[in-house]
Amino acid sequence: MIIAERRPIPEILENIAPYSRVLVLGCRGCVAVCSAGGDREVAILAEAIRLAREREGKPIEVIERTFMRQCDPEYLEPLNELLPQVEAIVSLACGVGVNLIADLYPSARVYPGVDTSFYGANVALGKWVEKCRGCGDCIIDKTAGLCPIARCAKNLLNGPCGGSQGGRCEVRKDMPCVWHMIIERLKERGELERLLEITPPKDWRPAGGDGLRIRVRPDLA
Amino acid sequence: MEPKSHLHKVLSSGQFAVTAEIGPPRNADPEVIRKKARLLKGYVDAVNITDCQTAIVRVSSIASAVLVMSEGLEPVAQMTCRDRNRIGIQADLLGASALGIRNLLCLTGDHPKFGNHPMAKPVFDLDSIQLLKLVSDLEEGRFANGEEINGKKPVFFRGAAENPFAEPYDFRAYRLAKKIKAGAQFIQTQIIYNVERFRKFMEECERLGLLDKVYILAGITPPKSLGMAKYMKHHVPGLEVPDEIIKRLESAKDVREEGINIAVEIIERVREIPGVRGVHIMAIEWEEAVPEIVKRAGLYPRPAYEDISYPFVVEKVVEKVVEKVVEKPVEVVVEKVVEKPVEVIVEKVIEKPVYMSIDEAISELEEGMARGEIPFETLVEILASLKAGLKQIRSGIESVEETMRLLEEEFIKKPKGSPATPITKKEEIKKEEPKPAKFLEEKVIEVSAPSVEVKEEKPEVEPKVEVKPEVKPEVKVEEKVEAKPEVPPEEKPEVKPVEKPEEKHEIKPEVKVEEEKPAPKVEAKAEGRAEVKVGGFKGVYRPISERAKLVPPDSYLEKATGEIKEVVIGRNGKSIKVGGAKGLNFHYFEGEFKNPVRIAFEVLDVKPEDWPESLAKYYSDVWHDPALWAKKCVEEYSAETVCIYLQGTDPNGLNLPASHAVEVVKKVKEAIDVPLIVWGSGNAEKDVEVLREVAEVVGDRGAVIGPVVEANYRTLGATAMGYGLPVIASSPIDVNLAKQLNILLENIGVSLDKILMDPSIGALGYGIEYTYSVMERIRLAALFGQDTKLACPFICSIGKEVWKTKEASMPTDEVFGEQEERGVLMEAITGVALAIAGGDLLIMRHPLAVKLCYTLFNALSEGLQSSV
Repeated sequence: MIIAERRPIPEILENIAPYSRVLVLGCRGCVAVCSAGGDREVAILAEAIRLAREREGKPIEVIERTFMRQCDPEYLEPLNELLPQVEAIVSLACGVGVNLIADLYPSARVYPGVDTSFYGANVALGKWVEKCRGCGDCIIDKTAGLCPIARCAKNLLNGPCGGSQGGRCEVRKDMPCVWHMIIERLKERGELERLLEITPPKDWRPAGGDGLRIRVRPDLA
Repeated sequence: MEPKSHLHKVLSSGQFAVTAEIGPPRNADPEVIRKKARLLKGYVDAVNITDCQTAIVRVSSIASAVLVMSEGLEPVAQMTCRDRNRIGIQADLLGASALGIRNLLCLTGDHPKFGNHPMAKPVFDLDSIQLLKLVSDLEEGRFANGEEINGKKPVFFRGAAENPFAEPYDFRAYRLAKKIKAGAQFIQTQIIYNVERFRKFMEECERLGLLDKVYILAGITPPKSLGMAKYMKHHVPGLEVPDEIIKRLESAKDVREEGINIAVEIIERVREIPGVRGVHIMAIEWEEAVPEIVKRAGLYPRPAYEDISYPFVVEKVVEKVVEKVVEKPVEVVVEKVVEKPVEVIVEKVIEKPVYMSIDEAISELEEGMARGEIPFETLVEILASLKAGLKQIRSGIESVEETMRLLEEEFIKKPKGSPATPITKKEEIKKEEPKPAKFLEEKVIEVSAPSVEVKEEKPEVEPKVEVKPEVKPEVKVEEKVEAKPEVPPEEKPEVKPVEKPEEKHEIKPEVKVEEEKPAPKVEAKAEGRAEVKVGGFKGVYRPISERAKLVPPDSYLEKATGEIKEVVIGRNGKSIKVGGAKGLNFHYFEGEFKNPVRIAFEVLDVKPEDWPESLAKYYSDVWHDPALWAKKCVEEYSAETVCIYLQGTDPNGLNLPASHAVEVVKKVKEAIDVPLIVWGSGNAEKDVEVLREVAEVVGDRGAVIGPVVEANYRTLGATAMGYGLPVIASSPIDVNLAKQLNILLENIGVSLDKILMDPSIGALGYGIEYTYSVMERIRLAALFGQDTKLACPFICSIGKEVWKTKEASMPTDEVFGEQEERGVLMEAITGVALAIAGGDLLIMRHPLAVKLCYTLFNALSEGLQSSV
């Protein structure tokens, strides 16, 4: 899922400083699952905003809403009713939601309430780790299902660098060396020769090097 | 066909090659590079020019290579994939070849994280193997996209690096094979100290048939100092420095001399290994050592070949300029010299001994003066050499500074390392909370008076409230069962109990634990001396098995797989135990609970200045003396334990010395015999100083000391261990940070049953929901997630947080109700909520709030325990 993290409250406050009525808009999609922008976080942020503004002597009216999703136009429809009631929106959805609101409701002043971070998995309570970088051209069939684009600090495609120690990455000691893992797995499977071929330079166009990425399914469109 | 590079000729003729390395300067001074080149000329066959090594900005490798060529030394340009994509790389390679650079070492490059621009975007469009392939393709006349190169193709003697000591070891030779396949013609290895491991690597290469396909140059570095050797041993990934080397340097009289000896010995040993075709000497910031090493290793003189003609030779340009200077009549030169580029001056100096010493220069100057004539050239020379001397000193200092900086970075960064980023964000959030406290401090003074008068209003409230309590206790329990472990800590209770009691009738009984407390308290209030009082607990307990008899127990019981550690506070009989739960707090029907939730009374070491009257009146008769205060808590309020908060030692406040703390703690200790908790000022440094001495005093009583934070866990952890005391491990409202601190403490030897976790709580209305959620998650991880590192009891410093809020001390008014009642409720609600979240030991202030909490806890535990 998409992992996001709440932006520092002072930054959010600065964005909405001129307004006295704002909508804090959560999303029940990925950001709710990673505890960054669901119902609970909406309530917390709204309360924090009220308290902070109260303290500044500039009370603010905060409306709290959470949509099923913010990345689908139909789920955003209730905004038609909400927009006249507020001067600005703080969206706790990922950047996709914020952009879609900005696209569809050009008059709405929408501010991001989270930093959209990465595609990751919930590996332990309260911990999410990046697993994919969405590069658009999957190579993990050759690397035992482990992605060196997302998980190697140098994006190496031809085996480990010379810096890993004890199976840990030299760049980040808290990170396992993904190439070490790939080699161990393939060795176990007796498929190490897969790595002896030179992997050619990657085509970065599907990774976004070609500008906006669009997918169309003609049968559905 | 392009002529081979000098290095290529040496290697292909079967002679043992020697290369060295130059690190370009971090400024635009060409002289630094030239000087290093002159130092090495004649002693090495070629010299590598690093490409911003360790990701630090320097003169580019290619520009430096041209400067090195102008000194008549052959360069090996280095190219990394860190800073350029395939377009930039190819452009630079065409340029390098056009400038006559013939040797190229292809590297992936150090990650920017290790350099001085860690925020830079790492490129890594290619890796070293793809780069080698790209260079081979260029030479064959194809760009990386397959397009043909029309016209002259670049030519390079292609090199690569390999680290025989990196993991996984058994893949290293295969990786070398891959590099050879991609086009590598020579290899320079990582620094070798462990010759045996290197020998094994070479044997593996031989087995794979690689030795005939590539020239391998063994990497040699003379250790310049003991510090450097240790640094390499512990901080350079993939570099093995055997203890024997460290020992040799430790016992050496002249470390540098010993360093050179070590390098020479390693060269002699690796020379014997089949397949080693040369050495690559990396004398880091110690180029002067290279000639000495080469000579002693018997590798001098180096083979000479006729000079290779470069398409672009700097020397010639310079020569012309020099000639011009000589031709000019002396009078004109004054202006001319100023115009000349620096090279001119320097070029002349080289013909003489490299640099004159300052003494020499001065004596020459004096001689000239004595003779009455100082030739102009001499003056120019003297000035030039002085200038160059200064530069040399400056660059020397720079390199020392840089080494120092790197060392500092490495040593100082280490402990902070990874958690740095997450912490900052959270701190920003937290910063908001302290603010209200300051507001409060100003207001408290006005507030204290009115509180007494208003009390008369209250009595009318009582009758109305009494109705509710009968129903609630049961409802609450039921709710928890249905809702599974996650009881959502809602914001609402903050306001409700404070609202006018009349309104409470409308609130339906199904609300929350907090709701019921106003009832017993207010009810009893009319009695006593017009004070707020705590009454009993009404209602009859009905066991869950009875209430949920229609539902099979399996569907609502969720037994924990873990268990919270039990921590003993105090020694010699008078001790209490905390923790030991095998279920979520108060879920008596789900697990065994060894101890009830406990409450400590807080005693300050100095007279509190900012307490509202509603709290102060209970302690103002004793607060001048912590011993009397503690005694009152024990004798009058039946405190089972007392927490001494050493507020006075805070460097941002009174900054009282450790001796003050010792005296206070000693007095309290003698006055009471209940177990003690000593809570420092919260300043990591000062707490070390204070708590060390305090531990000495309370050691025999087995008191808890803290807060221990990441910045002082080593010293305080060691202190606590020394006296066998439990500690308070304090972390800023975060599951991972709490766990990390526990692990750190455990690593230094503090066992988990000596740790009380302080999650840094927020009071009602000041982040309690956040605290609740974090505590709940920690507890769930410990009980249900097999996370034993989090299975420590919680200690929550509630009084401190509650009584600094504005709401706790605002005067009585219609909207917010009576002052004392409000404060008591805030403290009690915070206490109860956090007890439900998992709190095992609460530190509180107001005797009535404590009583309220106990009333509820006891009612719950008595009724429920019997029911299981």
